[in-house]
Amino acid sequence: MWIQPKELLLPSAFWTAEMYSRYFVLQKRRGHGESRGFGSMLVGTFDSVMNTKPAPYRILHQTPSSEVSYEIAIGITQDDIVKDWEWLQTNLFSVLNEMENEDEVTNFTICKIQSLYAQNNQDESGESPDFKVKSSNFRQIFKMPEEERLVNSYSATYIKNKIPRQGQLYISLNHVCFYSLMLNQEIKLIIRFAELEDISRSGNTIYLKTTNNMTYNFTLMFNMNEAHVLIEQLNKMAIQKLIHDPESPVVDHDPSNFARLGAKTSKKSVLLRDLTARQKSEEFRVYFRLPQTEIIDGKIKADIWTPYSKRFNAGYIYLSPNFFCFRSDVKDLVSVVIPMKTIKSVEKKDDGQQRFDNQIVIFTAENVPFMFAKIADREVLISKITDLLSRIHIPVSRERAKYDISWSKQTALLNTFKTEFSADIQKKQELKMARWEEHFRDFGRGIAMYRTTDVINLIVEGIPDKLRQEIWLIFSGAIHDKEMNPGLYEDLVEKAACIKDSYTHEEIDRDLKRSLPEHPAFQCTDGTGALRRVLQAYALRNPQVGYCQAMNIVSSVFLLFCDEENAFWMLASLCENLLPDYYKDKVVGAQIDQGVLNELVETYLSDLHEHLERLNVIKMISISWFLAIFISVISYESSLQILDCFFYEGAKIIFMVSLQIIEWNRDKLLNCQDDGEAMLVLQTYLEGIYNPEYQVPQTTDKRERVRTQTVQTLIHEAYTKFGEELTQQRIEELRNKHRRLTMRQFDIDNEKTIVKAHMQNVYFERQELHMLLTIIREEKLTLKSMQQQQQKAQCHMSEAPQLLPHHQSPTRAGLGDVMPGGGNGRHEAYSVNFEVFHTLFTELTPWRKCVSVDVGEKLFRLTDKKGTGQLDFGQLINAFGLVCSSKSMEKLKLLFVLHLPPLLSKAEIERMRRPRPRTKDDAEEAFEAEDFFDEDASESIEALPSPSDHNFDADDYALISATQHLHNLAGISGNTFMDLSRTTPNLSLNSNASSLAQRNSTFYVDLPAAHQGTTTRTDAGQDDDNDIGLRQQGRYESIDTFSDISDLGAARITPPQTSTTAAAASAAEQMLLNVETISNFSQISDLVAATRLERADSNATDTRSLGSLGYLLDEGASATGQHRQVPNMRKENFQLLWRSIIEIMGCVQDEDMRRAYENLIEMGNSNIKKEPSLESFTQLNLGGSGDEQPDSNGNPTTPAAEPSSTTRLFVALEEELRQAKAGTAAAAGASATATTSNSSGSSNSTNTSDAWHISINQFIATVLTCECIVKAFQTRTHIVEQIEQLQKKRRKCLSTNYNY
Amino acid sequence: MASRKKSLLKVIILGDSSVGKTSLMNQYVNKRFSNQYKATIGADFCTKEVVVNDRVVTMQIWDTAGQERFQSLGVAFYRGADCCVLVYDVTAPNSFKNLDSWRDEFLIQASPRDPEHFPFVVLGNKVDLDNRQVSTRRAQQWCQSKNDIPYYETSAKEGINVEMAFQTIAKNALEQETEAELINDFPDQIRLNSENNRPGNADNCQC
Repeated sequence: MWIQPKELLLPSAFWTAEMYSRYFVLQKRRGHGESRGFGSMLVGTFDSVMNTKPAPYRILHQTPSSEVSYEIAIGITQDDIVKDWEWLQTNLFSVLNEMENEDEVTNFTICKIQSLYAQNNQDESGESPDFKVKSSNFRQIFKMPEEERLVNSYSATYIKNKIPRQGQLYISLNHVCFYSLMLNQEIKLIIRFAELEDISRSGNTIYLKTTNNMTYNFTLMFNMNEAHVLIEQLNKMAIQKLIHDPESPVVDHDPSNFARLGAKTSKKSVLLRDLTARQKSEEFRVYFRLPQTEIIDGKIKADIWTPYSKRFNAGYIYLSPNFFCFRSDVKDLVSVVIPMKTIKSVEKKDDGQQRFDNQIVIFTAENVPFMFAKIADREVLISKITDLLSRIHIPVSRERAKYDISWSKQTALLNTFKTEFSADIQKKQELKMARWEEHFRDFGRGIAMYRTTDVINLIVEGIPDKLRQEIWLIFSGAIHDKEMNPGLYEDLVEKAACIKDSYTHEEIDRDLKRSLPEHPAFQCTDGTGALRRVLQAYALRNPQVGYCQAMNIVSSVFLLFCDEENAFWMLASLCENLLPDYYKDKVVGAQIDQGVLNELVETYLSDLHEHLERLNVIKMISISWFLAIFISVISYESSLQILDCFFYEGAKIIFMVSLQIIEWNRDKLLNCQDDGEAMLVLQTYLEGIYNPEYQVPQTTDKRERVRTQTVQTLIHEAYTKFGEELTQQRIEELRNKHRRLTMRQFDIDNEKTIVKAHMQNVYFERQELHMLLTIIREEKLTLKSMQQQQQKAQCHMSEAPQLLPHHQSPTRAGLGDVMPGGGNGRHEAYSVNFEVFHTLFTELTPWRKCVSVDVGEKLFRLTDKKGTGQLDFGQLINAFGLVCSSKSMEKLKLLFVLHLPPLLSKAEIERMRRPRPRTKDDAEEAFEAEDFFDEDASESIEALPSPSDHNFDADDYALISATQHLHNLAGISGNTFMDLSRTTPNLSLNSNASSLAQRNSTFYVDLPAAHQGTTTRTDAGQDDDNDIGLRQQGRYESIDTFSDISDLGAARITPPQTSTTAAAASAAEQMLLNVETISNFSQISDLVAATRLERADSNATDTRSLGSLGYLLDEGASATGQHRQVPNMRKENFQLLWRSIIEIMGCVQDEDMRRAYENLIEMGNSNIKKEPSLESFTQLNLGGSGDEQPDSNGNPTTPAAEPSSTTRLFVALEEELRQAKAGTAAAAGASATATTSNSSGSSNSTNTSDAWHISINQFIATVLTCECIVKAFQTRTHIVEQIEQLQKKRRKCLSTNYNY
Repeated sequence: MASRKKSLLKVIILGDSSVGKTSLMNQYVNKRFSNQYKATIGADFCTKEVVVNDRVVTMQIWDTAGQERFQSLGVAFYRGADCCVLVYDVTAPNSFKNLDSWRDEFLIQASPRDPEHFPFVVLGNKVDLDNRQVSTRRAQQWCQSKNDIPYYETSAKEGINVEMAFQTIAKNALEQETEAELINDFPDQIRLNSENNRPGNADNCQC
């Protein structure tokens, strides 16, 4: 990249030249890259310590006779710089060579480069080249993806083990990172903002504490404040993101309008300026209660003339697109908010005294003048205002869609349902009214009034009924929202009224009469109707909140004093500005503020705090204080006065009043023995609070209330005691802290609950489960997996329609309802997709060593029975549990199964055999590339988690839980990856011979893509046999495996002819058909099993024919021989299986193993000879004979009787198998499927390697004779250690076992 | 051991929003019904002295908010509960369906020592209304399947069965206490008692 040419005197120190020309040299920084010499080490340290960190490449311009060189380009990568170099070569070299004068050469070059620089930088993001280098350094060091944007970096010291390390603190949108390199000792740290539990600062050091209880300290010499504020801010954004969008909690900053605020010349990064502006805007908005969309444009020092006191007051003018605001330096002395659209004119005025020159006068629409003086830069201000005024956009009510609903806006209910005051109180109200009138006369009325302490005092004394609407609207800021969105409310009301069958509406309706039932207005439809409209409209406006109880109570009070639309906007302002996140799921905002209150109690009422903590009482009681702003907690007329203050003060008043109430009850609370007592104390006290100035006579509540205190005293005392110390800023700080803690607590609670629910699993202890949950949460939050998820989702979106026609069907939503143990999304937060699973698998389990075959992928597909692409936590612990357990036999069985087709398909084996670099990454890449570019669609499906092809309903679920229960009872580990049994598909079975044959042939069609003769048939036949035998034997494990495999087979059934025939469309159709038929496969085998059972006259009961439930019933049978019914394995698969075993063991074969291997090969050979299909049928009877051990060869010992009679169906099957055995293409054709006929061309081989097969029994029996294998598989993996290692690696950005 | 006996019973009322939890509590404690209750935010609380097996005990009744988003807050009260009252509205089938999740949630959050035998009581409220939707049989079946939970059909408005139900609640809660103390000595006794309760319930349901 071209830079502004810079003069250099010592061009070669620290640099080595890579390319020369007459006038240019391309240099490379030492210490970057391979060379390990002392020199480069030193340079590296120097760079790191001195914070120079130049780009590793640069081009200098030099002339032979001059000492001075010019740096003209820098490059982060070699390609970058070479590109520039090439440009020089083509465009400059020849031109320069023609010049004679060296000065001329230099001038020309510099001029040229400058213009290049200017040109290139026009359209760029506005970042300085320096910053670009920094960002790219950051991404390289920490392997961050392109999307992760660096905000700023600071030179910092990190002290670890008392050794200070000087380095760079990088702050990016989602991470705090630290890098130091001193004498080849590298330190890297990555901390996610979302995982910070505590941020504190003392002196020049920032302390960060993460959720897994690690603390880090960084000492900064410069910019300490900026860094600290930045960390706080980004942490807040991260946690808020977590609250708003738990699914993708990555802070992604859109380059907003904020950017233009910062000074263009500033050296700071665009993002940093942007973030700072955002922060300032937020403060500005909160202070003046402006709408969320308002962005501060700038502030200018000025004095305001206040006519009521006849003097100038110093302060700042703040400008934003729609508002002109002023705030005095002296707190609460005076502030003004003038909406831009009401400004009629801005005039300069210079007749003032010398001291107050540079005046302007602003006239509003009502011709009220506002005078400002001592304006630092008057011209700028005026042009700015003019500019803003010219761009002002006055919203107009849009044309609305028409709805067939008639309703009319309810005016303030008090107009109809008048409060009857006694004469005494009436007089008080009138007196108040008069004082307000007087105030309006002096200080103005409406939005643009002078807001001073006087108005606060008036508010604290209580607003008269007649003025409540006006004052509430102004001070809550709701009026601005309303004015900016004319017509929105009507629109929402009508839209909402058209929604039918909404659960939210049901909830609202239920509460209409439970909002303010004592008020006559809500005993008839006037009140409840308006309340319904307001709540429904708001639920529609903000679906994240929807409807939360307490909103009804607050809204009903609004409706008494305000007309319907105003009430709606006040509710909006309440939910969105005044009480952020209060009414969201888990009332998270209120819980955060409870945390704040708890800390305030600790600060101000420390003697009480410990006691209350023990009673655990604050949390229980105060939730309604916050959510309902004391309405319905204290008497209605008293709560009104708190509400008055609330609109001015915000949540602060709730804190103050709460503290005051607790303090008044200090002694009683200290005497309480339990939570109930304390609750009672506070309840009685709160009910006794009364308002003598506003006594509504017709209280229907006959409950005797012991009068305790007037609300006026309460508010007054609260202000005097806590008003000063409790500032908005302090509340914000505490909120930030408790937002972190509350979210953390949610996680902890969640995890505890999930662990409790999974305590019965056979593999992991409590702590291990906790660790697993932690690592899953962390992994899911890493950027990488987030992005992949997104990409995958996109891929899915674009490809799904063609490839997975049935993919829409997985009934995720439906499942949620019947999912045992949690209808609430609690568990879902910990389900993993393939990427996370695979990462964890490779990081945590011992089978990661298996590199030839991607065992993790196989395991995922085996476990993900429903084809949702997600594993829930239970499935995950089962899969991981077995792999990490010490159950050698089960593990070997699992490994065997994982190497069977279709999990390990022929195509995949072929691919692996093709010569190609074997490194993991390449394999991955190639794999993916093939997936997405290969014509053969079946491969793409394979890459994705297998889609589901069958439906799931509640009955299935009952069945599954039943099986799970049985598994648990039996204490058998088998429930592992196989806990869900195959359920009967709901397609009706058309059981004639030809369809059966067709199904059979389609099922395995993808498997031996190249051959289709005898063995295919035989295999299929055998599978059926095995299946049947299995049922007889009642082995759940193998049958589950089998049905899993058939699922998978079905999933990737795309016929191979896609690549060979041009008729892609018909192929797709065919595929669709196949998927359906195949999904019936297990049903067919069930049927076969059923018929077989009749015939075989075994000890089975009818239940067995009901799919795979039956086998469970006699699962008590001994554990031997149960692996017999898994399909047999072919040679290629076996060889890979063997390789995997060796890889997992991580050693060379010893004598034992070699012998075992040879034995197995031999056995496979001998299996060829006794091939005939009927014999394979007999094998199924082996199962019936129960717990027989295979003999030392692993050969089954019992031959079983030939079945005597068969049903028609069965005859057909046998016939099919015989034909297959004959191996003629004609026979295949007879089965009359497009699939078979298409692939028959290539299927002329019944060679030995295809016929070779081995059963799981033989395999296990032989392998178990190998002591070293057994030993290797018996070792238990300590998952906790593995997880801790992974966490460490992640933190330190070390290379991990698995890299995407 | 006797000194550990507390004369305080903590009872939690759970159930969907607007099934009548607050009304039931107030009917029992204050013998009053009002159609002017507000939706409970967070929790409400009452105490009542009751005589069970010739012992005077104080019953602490915690009335909780039914809306789902408040559920996570309830966790704090669940701990140390002696009895859990599950309430549904016989005119609202969904509130009956949700009993399962209320029960599960309670067991998982309160982690009682013996979850299988923790005393629950199910109340089908609002039997005074005409549009009944959940049959007695269905409710009884459910209760039987959950280890014979005592079941009562109540009306907080008319005061039907409320007293009786809470008597059972108090008794079972007290047994939970004894059970906790004698857990090792008489494990079967409890079962016997809960069976004794059953015929009584069936009678109650007919009203």
